[in-house]
Amino acid sequence: MDFSFSRAHEMVRNMVREYAEKEVGPKVESYSQEGDEFPYETLKRCAELGLIGLIIPKKYGGNEMGYLARMIAIEEISKVYASLGANLRGWGLVPYMITVAGTEEQKQKYLPAFCKGEIQGSIATTEATSGSDFGSFPVSYKKDGDDYIINCRKVMISRATVSDVFGMMVRGEKGYTCFLIEKRMPGVQTGHREKLISTLSRNSPLGDVALTNCRVPKSQVVGEEGKGLGPALSTIGFVGRTGGAGICLGVAESSFDIAVKYSKERIVYGKPLHDLQSLKFMLADMAVRVECSKLLCYQVSWLQDQGKKPVELNRETSMSKLFASESAVNNTLKAIEILGGYGTAPEFGLIQRMKTALDMIAAAGSNNVLRRNVGDAAVA
Amino acid sequence: MPLEIFVCVKQTPHPEHFSKISLDPATGSIQRAGIPSVMNPLDKNAVEEALRIREKFSGKVTAISMGPPQAKEVLEEAYAMGVDEGVLLCDSTFAGADTLATAYTLAQAIQKLGRFDLILCGNESIDGATGQVGPQLAEFLGIPHITYVTRLEFQGEREALATREIEYGYLKVKFRLPAAVTVLKSINQYRLPTVMDIMQAAGKEVKTWNCEETGGEKTCLGLEGSPTRVAGLVALQTKRKREILKGSEEEIARMAVKRLHEYGVI
Amino acid sequence: MQSKGEVWVWAEQRAGRLMPVSLELLGKAKELAGSLGTRLVGTLVGDQMDSLAQELIDYGMEKVYLIESQRLKLYQSEAYARLLAELVRQHQPEIFLLGATAIGMDLAPRVAAKLNTGLTAHCADLYLEEIAGKKKLIAAVPGWGGSILVKIVCPVANPQMATVRSGVFERPPKSSGNKGEIVKVSTQLRDEDFRAETVEIVETKPTGILLEEAEIVVGGGWGFQSVGGFKLAEELAEVLGGTTAGTRPAVDAGWVREDRMIGSSGKTVAPKLFVSAGASGAMHFTTGFLKSKVIVAIEQNAKAPIFDVADLGIVGDLGKILPLLIEELKKFGPGQSA
Repeated sequence: MDFSFSRAHEMVRNMVREYAEKEVGPKVESYSQEGDEFPYETLKRCAELGLIGLIIPKKYGGNEMGYLARMIAIEEISKVYASLGANLRGWGLVPYMITVAGTEEQKQKYLPAFCKGEIQGSIATTEATSGSDFGSFPVSYKKDGDDYIINCRKVMISRATVSDVFGMMVRGEKGYTCFLIEKRMPGVQTGHREKLISTLSRNSPLGDVALTNCRVPKSQVVGEEGKGLGPALSTIGFVGRTGGAGICLGVAESSFDIAVKYSKERIVYGKPLHDLQSLKFMLADMAVRVECSKLLCYQVSWLQDQGKKPVELNRETSMSKLFASESAVNNTLKAIEILGGYGTAPEFGLIQRMKTALDMIAAAGSNNVLRRNVGDAAVA
Repeated sequence: MPLEIFVCVKQTPHPEHFSKISLDPATGSIQRAGIPSVMNPLDKNAVEEALRIREKFSGKVTAISMGPPQAKEVLEEAYAMGVDEGVLLCDSTFAGADTLATAYTLAQAIQKLGRFDLILCGNESIDGATGQVGPQLAEFLGIPHITYVTRLEFQGEREALATREIEYGYLKVKFRLPAAVTVLKSINQYRLPTVMDIMQAAGKEVKTWNCEETGGEKTCLGLEGSPTRVAGLVALQTKRKREILKGSEEEIARMAVKRLHEYGVI
Repeated sequence: MQSKGEVWVWAEQRAGRLMPVSLELLGKAKELAGSLGTRLVGTLVGDQMDSLAQELIDYGMEKVYLIESQRLKLYQSEAYARLLAELVRQHQPEIFLLGATAIGMDLAPRVAAKLNTGLTAHCADLYLEEIAGKKKLIAAVPGWGGSILVKIVCPVANPQMATVRSGVFERPPKSSGNKGEIVKVSTQLRDEDFRAETVEIVETKPTGILLEEAEIVVGGGWGFQSVGGFKLAEELAEVLGGTTAGTRPAVDAGWVREDRMIGSSGKTVAPKLFVSAGASGAMHFTTGFLKSKVIVAIEQNAKAPIFDVADLGIVGDLGKILPLLIEELKKFGPGQSA
């Protein structure tokens, strides 16, 4: 087994790290302010660097560098600013849906624009009744000739107020259908920012997308009518979930790094803090969590790059996000403990990371649903 | 006529890991196993400047490095930034070179590669930091040099005005090509390669020359061609008093002032 | 190249003044010349430098070569390099030292290449050692960010060249009674000497006490984070009549400007009093002030290496010790200005 990264992957990591540390890092504080504007320059810059097109075919303006590159990019950015990591993850979801299930016209129309950062999309499945239990959704569209009339409300949608296109899965009489809803279509309303506790939501503002008698032409159906569950679940489970794992990995890793640095500089009883064995053991456990999260994340990405299908990787994608998420919670908590009185001081960035970790328990695939997936696979 | 631009680049250990490097007192060689390497940061500014000049006047940018096989990595980084050609001078004969032998070796290769209009280098490398290779390379190539450059303004394709830093100020230096210029960080903000740039650069062919292919007199290369030698390590001489004051904080403050007066510094 | 054996120094003049480092070099150079049993000789390049030449003699030079021309008033790299190299070839000194200013660092390597000889940059110390029966110049150089000091020697080639930063050596005493020879070198300039021509010099006035000239320096480090910033360091410097400087973390935190950074990547100083506060004493920092006359260390970690290089050590909390010290100093009397 060869665990080494290719030269290209190393170089992408170095580039993204430098981008994150030099261009994003200095602005994190201003980005995190309450009621902030969406930082469009991050979309443009990520697109320019090729980070949006990592899993989009070259034919449509992407670079196809692959899933491992995507994981590395989300990880490195999330180490510095998880909210941007969340956006980078989010920007890839609708393009993926179109790539696997869309028509040629849809691919030509939307994918190049996504890659260039000219437009952005959001996946929209969650409704008031549930995020995971799709069976609870009411029937919300009916056919009218070649068009569809949709009446529904999607909630907790990332970047609802700034996205141009929504990859929306709606329940119909004959099953679920995925539509590409453009914000400017008549009958589409976005709004109602949720104020969640995390900085994750500040530059990835959550909101509602409501469709009222929205007339949607057949051209906007992704895949086939009534067969939308497949594309939606793949998008969420294959790409959304691993993106979430990458965010959590970044948070777990950077919290660990902060704790290590502090423990070297802080002197207690005439020695560096890490000289205390109890503290060193905490750092050791954090290190193991980071390493295991990495291995799960890189492995699933490698499998994706090998061409494995979503249905083949349900267990692996679930494990990666589940473990990385719990690692993020544990590492941020331990780091706060290690920093003692400075643990919750804003300048160390641990409170922000803690809040992100808490948000990520339910986001990108609720941990307990993922546990169910892994359990199911274990006893299958 | 398109410009032939050469940029000298060097692979150095990552500055964050400097404290882990040690010198083997027996052999005088550097122990740096396991320490990550980077392109010398100022060399990136040099590459960037070369690319900007190429964009302005059209031409070719060749990145050249003298180093072990691993130094190929910085040429890949240079490719990712956009240089046209990468050349690695790699031979055990080159080892142990001081700045004079290094400059000589680079000069042989540059002359062999053909016409040269502009040579760009980082002002100094983050390891070693002598800043000597640029001017010495210029001497071997028989061209003028300007160091500490923070700005280059071209007035026509072959004439330029350089702003070069001095302590508390700067000089303006007028020059014509061919010339060698070494740059400081403030000259530009170097570009980050995109994913697409990286994909075409990683693993790209680097022209690798050994001693014969590079040319030059053997006696001028490597350790043999280096007038300076490492003669070992120096123990720091400290004959300090090392008196630690004891007592309450107020007492310590009073004692300290008394001592300073006794030392004659207040 | 056979050597006639003198110790030479290139004295840098800018806008009619001698650069401080050139004067500092004279003390060490005189010592080396004495050990070799030879003369200390200087070279000056510029225009109308009789008074500068006399000043060099006042500081101990036995002979000064003047290369003068109106066209050489500003630094002209190829002209200076060619003329100096020719003079060196003619007289064959054993050792040739230059100050490591932004200009010295430009000139020295070109001259060394013309003479095909060895040059060591940024020396922290210079002394003689016998190698194969001959007294050779050893240049001690900090390497790898200051964590190692390396000895460099130029065993065969001549002259043995080195550049030295300001603050490493001490200016020798001045005496108007000194006698010395001033020789005006006949200078023929060529067009090729000015292929890169300096056409303008713009000098900016630095604010406050120049670090290099301060007699008392307070160098602060990361420890000031616990007291919310550098205010106490500035107060201490003020009451002592000195100036502030800092470590890399202090610069990054914005408490001192980059040009006030002390250490192997920054400046070297040798004031009569250096107070290190809130810094643990990593070698790449301490190498920047080891030659100070008196070193005081204030630091909360009793095991910090800073105490090994200090004459006087105070283990304590900056927030408690500094105000008390400042109070006592105020009671003592007004500070001497640098």
